[in-house]
Amino acid sequence: MEQKILEIINEIRAAKNLEPVAELKPETRLREDLALTSFDLAELTVKIEDEFDIDIFEDGLVSTIGEIYAKLA
Amino acid sequence: MVFLYDNETYSYDDLLHAISGNGTYFPLYRTKELFPFFANMIKALAAGMPLTLIDADINASEIDGVEESDINAEQAFESKTYQNMDEVVAALQQSQSEITIFTSGTTGQPKKVVHSISTLTRNVRLGEKYAGQIWAYAYNPTHMAGLQVFFQAFENQNTLVNVFGKQRDEVYRQIADKQITHISATPTFYRLLLPFEKSYESVVRITLGGEKSDQHLYDAIGQIFPKAKINNVYASTEAGSLFAAKGDCFQIPEDIRDKFKVVDDELLIHKSLLGSSESFKFTDDFYHSGDLIEWVDKEAGLFRFKSRKNELINVGGYKVNPGEVENAIMAIEGVRQALVYGKANSILGNVLCADVQLENGFALTELDIKKHLSTQLQDFKIPRRIKFVEEMTLTRTGKLKRS
Repeated sequence: MEQKILEIINEIRAAKNLEPVAELKPETRLREDLALTSFDLAELTVKIEDEFDIDIFEDGLVSTIGEIYAKLA
Repeated sequence: MVFLYDNETYSYDDLLHAISGNGTYFPLYRTKELFPFFANMIKALAAGMPLTLIDADINASEIDGVEESDINAEQAFESKTYQNMDEVVAALQQSQSEITIFTSGTTGQPKKVVHSISTLTRNVRLGEKYAGQIWAYAYNPTHMAGLQVFFQAFENQNTLVNVFGKQRDEVYRQIADKQITHISATPTFYRLLLPFEKSYESVVRITLGGEKSDQHLYDAIGQIFPKAKINNVYASTEAGSLFAAKGDCFQIPEDIRDKFKVVDDELLIHKSLLGSSESFKFTDDFYHSGDLIEWVDKEAGLFRFKSRKNELINVGGYKVNPGEVENAIMAIEGVRQALVYGKANSILGNVLCADVQLENGFALTELDIKKHLSTQLQDFKIPRRIKFVEEMTLTRTGKLKRS
């Protein structure tokens, strides 16, 4: 699951001409550390939903990787 | 003279025999077979009897006010005898029949619209010039576009070749075998014919209708049918065919120019040009078409379609015209067909998504398409999820189905 999230995030970064990240830590922040905009976060939710059938933003904002892991756990 | 090539071949004499002296018909006829469908329709119209056209795959429960027991129930009328097809055509042209058709119901329940023969055949052109044409019949016969093509061909006693819903190879085989001269179809139908492999010189006229088309498609059609003139037609269930034009523009004929208005870019049509329906809402006798247009030359009544009003997708507060994005995707080499739509999303309201069908032998990734689009479109117009599909779902009228 963690590997899949890393893939999705690097896919989003690639479309923005950003270098791929090697690893994600639970405290990594989506906006500040990974430079994701609200459009990118929307893409992230759709792709996570395709993969895991869970809308991670359904009940409020998620701001770190650890919070995504918790939703999918 | 051949009237229709389908699984069997039917001549105009077969049609005359099916109609003349026959005093029963089906006011609501549900059939997958084209010949009995057309014979029933002509018989009813020539005798001035009312007729309701329903899809071959529809259930009574899907349409308001229709009971299953009404469907395919025979009714008697005073039979008429015709010596030849000219008499049948003349009787049809003067018909006082009420013809009820339904919208294809892409946005909810099919809506009922009642037409007269004059609104349905307003743009039929007659004369020697139109004799001997061989038409690919590429529409559903129960809807407006299919009726337009049918009456144009029938009133000139032309030949129809059924290609609706047929596979690519079969369509090409029919074009070559029957030496088809005219094709009128949706852009989706023509995209099915891509990519170019071989040209077909018998075709002299290509008409596109029902959806927006794009330059990439025009270019490909030009290669496949090098002798054909290409034009667009605008026909709606509500109004029938109102204007046709060359290229990507339409012209409002001068004699009905006062029957149109444009408010907030939306085309408004005067009720005198429409069929009748309880579902129509008018503002000062003008109907809101839902089509957004821009004037190319207002004085000359020349305009271009931009999009459908209810099609705009709200993405994080930005309004995206899916047609514009589809055109950009389809302009990429290797893409046969694209459908852009919104998917409900808790962050942006909608996320822009695209289904893409590639041409055989091409391998493109989601990233390839996004990178390509980023050189042409603003960021908010770039689909965030691109799915590659083998096939696209089509509506009953052969348009791409929006989810």
